[in-house]
Amino acid sequence: MTEIWELYKNGGWEVPFLTFSIYVFVAASFVLYLTIVASRNRKIKRERLRKEYSAMIDKVMSAVIFEDVSFSSIKEDKNFLVLFDTSFFREVLTESLINLHKNYEGVYAQKLEQFYKDSGLIKYSFKKLKSLKWEIKCKGITELAEFNISEAFDLIITFSKARKKTLKIVALNACIKLEGTESIKYLVEHSDPIDDWMQLNIIAAFKKHDVGDTEGIEHLLESQNTTVITLGLKLIKELKLSQKVPHVAQLAAQTTNTIIKYEAQSILQTLTA
Amino acid sequence: MTFFNTEITWFLDVYILLILGYAILIMSSYLILAYLSTKELRRYLKRNSFVDYDVLLTSEFAPKLSLIAPAYNEGLTIEENVKSLLSLNYNNYQVIVVNDGSKDNSMEILTKTYDLVLTDLDFHPKIETKKIRGIYTSKNAAFKKLIVVDKENGGKADALNVGLNIAQNPYVVCIDVDCILDKDSLLKLAKPFLESYGNRIIATGGVVRIANQCIIKNGRLVEVNVPDVMLSRIQVLEYLRAFLLGRMAWGKLDGLLLISGAFGAFDKEIAILSGGYSTKTVGEDMELIVRMRRYMLDNKLPYSVSYIPDPLCWTEAPEDFKIFKKQRSRWMRGTIETLSIHRRMFLNPKYKLLGMLSVPYWTLFEFLAPGIEFIGLVITVVFIVFGLLNWHFFFLLLFFVYSFAVLFSVIALYSEEKTYHKYPKQADFFKLLMAAFIEPFYFHPLTVYASLIGYKEKIMGTKGWGEMTRKGFTKKE
Repeated sequence: MTEIWELYKNGGWEVPFLTFSIYVFVAASFVLYLTIVASRNRKIKRERLRKEYSAMIDKVMSAVIFEDVSFSSIKEDKNFLVLFDTSFFREVLTESLINLHKNYEGVYAQKLEQFYKDSGLIKYSFKKLKSLKWEIKCKGITELAEFNISEAFDLIITFSKARKKTLKIVALNACIKLEGTESIKYLVEHSDPIDDWMQLNIIAAFKKHDVGDTEGIEHLLESQNTTVITLGLKLIKELKLSQKVPHVAQLAAQTTNTIIKYEAQSILQTLTA
Repeated sequence: MTFFNTEITWFLDVYILLILGYAILIMSSYLILAYLSTKELRRYLKRNSFVDYDVLLTSEFAPKLSLIAPAYNEGLTIEENVKSLLSLNYNNYQVIVVNDGSKDNSMEILTKTYDLVLTDLDFHPKIETKKIRGIYTSKNAAFKKLIVVDKENGGKADALNVGLNIAQNPYVVCIDVDCILDKDSLLKLAKPFLESYGNRIIATGGVVRIANQCIIKNGRLVEVNVPDVMLSRIQVLEYLRAFLLGRMAWGKLDGLLLISGAFGAFDKEIAILSGGYSTKTVGEDMELIVRMRRYMLDNKLPYSVSYIPDPLCWTEAPEDFKIFKKQRSRWMRGTIETLSIHRRMFLNPKYKLLGMLSVPYWTLFEFLAPGIEFIGLVITVVFIVFGLLNWHFFFLLLFFVYSFAVLFSVIALYSEEKTYHKYPKQADFFKLLMAAFIEPFYFHPLTVYASLIGYKEKIMGTKGWGEMTRKGFTKKE
């Protein structure tokens, strides 16, 4: 430090400063260049592996779905077992399993769900819920919900109260898929505002998962939180729940909030038209 | 004589301290912004990987948008461009094409292609504009989203104001009609309007990228390429730096002063209350944002401007120096005009971060930088000629700036690699890397020169845009 100060005082600091900075800039550029090259190579390698794994997984999945081959038979293949121990292989396997599950229904979907449980992938999904990183938690939640693991509901519902909005939305979507209206009951007591984006996601989850039992949605209209009431009204409108008309009429008659009153009246008009 | 020598030495010391101080200040600000941008970009991508945009696509509660596309002499491309605007992934939107008194056959093409007929649209203009000759809608139900306005020529800002007056939806998306939009661009642009509660989002903007030599099919980008022409290739790098390393950080700090005129969404009510686009400046995009922000701050209304780092819009960059010079001198004039109109904001605590940081930053590093650089270079050369500075020091100084410029471009390439990875071909990556080495010798002096022309034009009172000819995109058959 003293040396630097002396250098500055004596007036000859400029040249060493510039030389040092140039070295730093050149070195940093070179390191970044190497990092970019390494990253590109890693991407190419991962892409190649993904293709290889996908080809193998397609064969396995085809056997599981159409030939009733169980996981216990598949794991006799040593090569498969070795690969199954690597996280990247499990990631590709889970992704293709999810894609298949989205495309199949009935017995085929059940076979995939069984494979998910038997292979132990379910264990890894539960493990993801314990991660400190919210994005890993989101992945775990999505996987468990996709395969209709109802036992995960109690755990997932706790994340719907999380501070991280994305985690909250993913958890709520999952809960709606697993247990329908049960999952939004706690929203009646919710004190924070629910923004329009979150409301849209909740509505979309109800529509997407075709939740038949809408018992309890009307309780949202009793909330002290106006955004929760708005969500309830939107749900009633979007799902065309004409059986909830008396609750909407009651809200329109009793509320002192003009915006809510207007929304309720407009929905009444739509549903009774 | 000794006294004179002492004076000269003192002046030289102060001068070196000043130029180095300025260089260090600008470099550190770039690095800080790059750090903030990269951090925010990663956070955004993580969040975005769990976003289901179909939610917006299928919902009647999605924000209602009016796309405003001003067109002037776009006859060659207007048919295809409007078609691509009509086929975006979004439900609640209308397209308003404003023909700004084109001298070519744009209006005939539109009328013929889209079966247009004169209509009596009931609207109450809030902003004064040039005379409207006619408003047209299509007889064909397939084009029911389309409204075409034929008006007297008044410039881009005037055409946009006509669009603001006519728009029937609460949010307007202002675009350049010749831009190529990503199919999901409206979904991404609309989402922030739904996300804030109690803090009104008054505008959102996305990343604009260079489309030269990219392959376009049916109005959509199908293959990304790096241009062969060095001038436009370097602009690819320049846009990466500006959008990925600059604006993302300003967006995070909520200090964005500019949403590109090529593609941005606005809260119509606030845009109109602020007075709409100014026809007195060539930097109407920047000026509107500053004015809208100022309006919100003056009225103590909580607000925010949102920025989306996804490449949503692809535009054609000038390949020819003459057009490039016109564009950049115009940008400089726009910057000077905006900063001058809103000079009261400069270091004014009433305007919070905007007044204390954004406006001073733009003044010091965008408006004044080319002038400071030019004057610095002249003084340094004079010092060398008079033997007060040696060549060794001069070259060291040049290499100091050069190595930083290369480093900053490499940071931009790194950021692109780690995020969107839009240039996967090895050859394209090396082309861009090579451009980073060439840019400080070739492109940078050109931008400084064009900016100085901008200063001159401003002093001489030059107005208007000047003719901007475009080559058009490569199309895939």
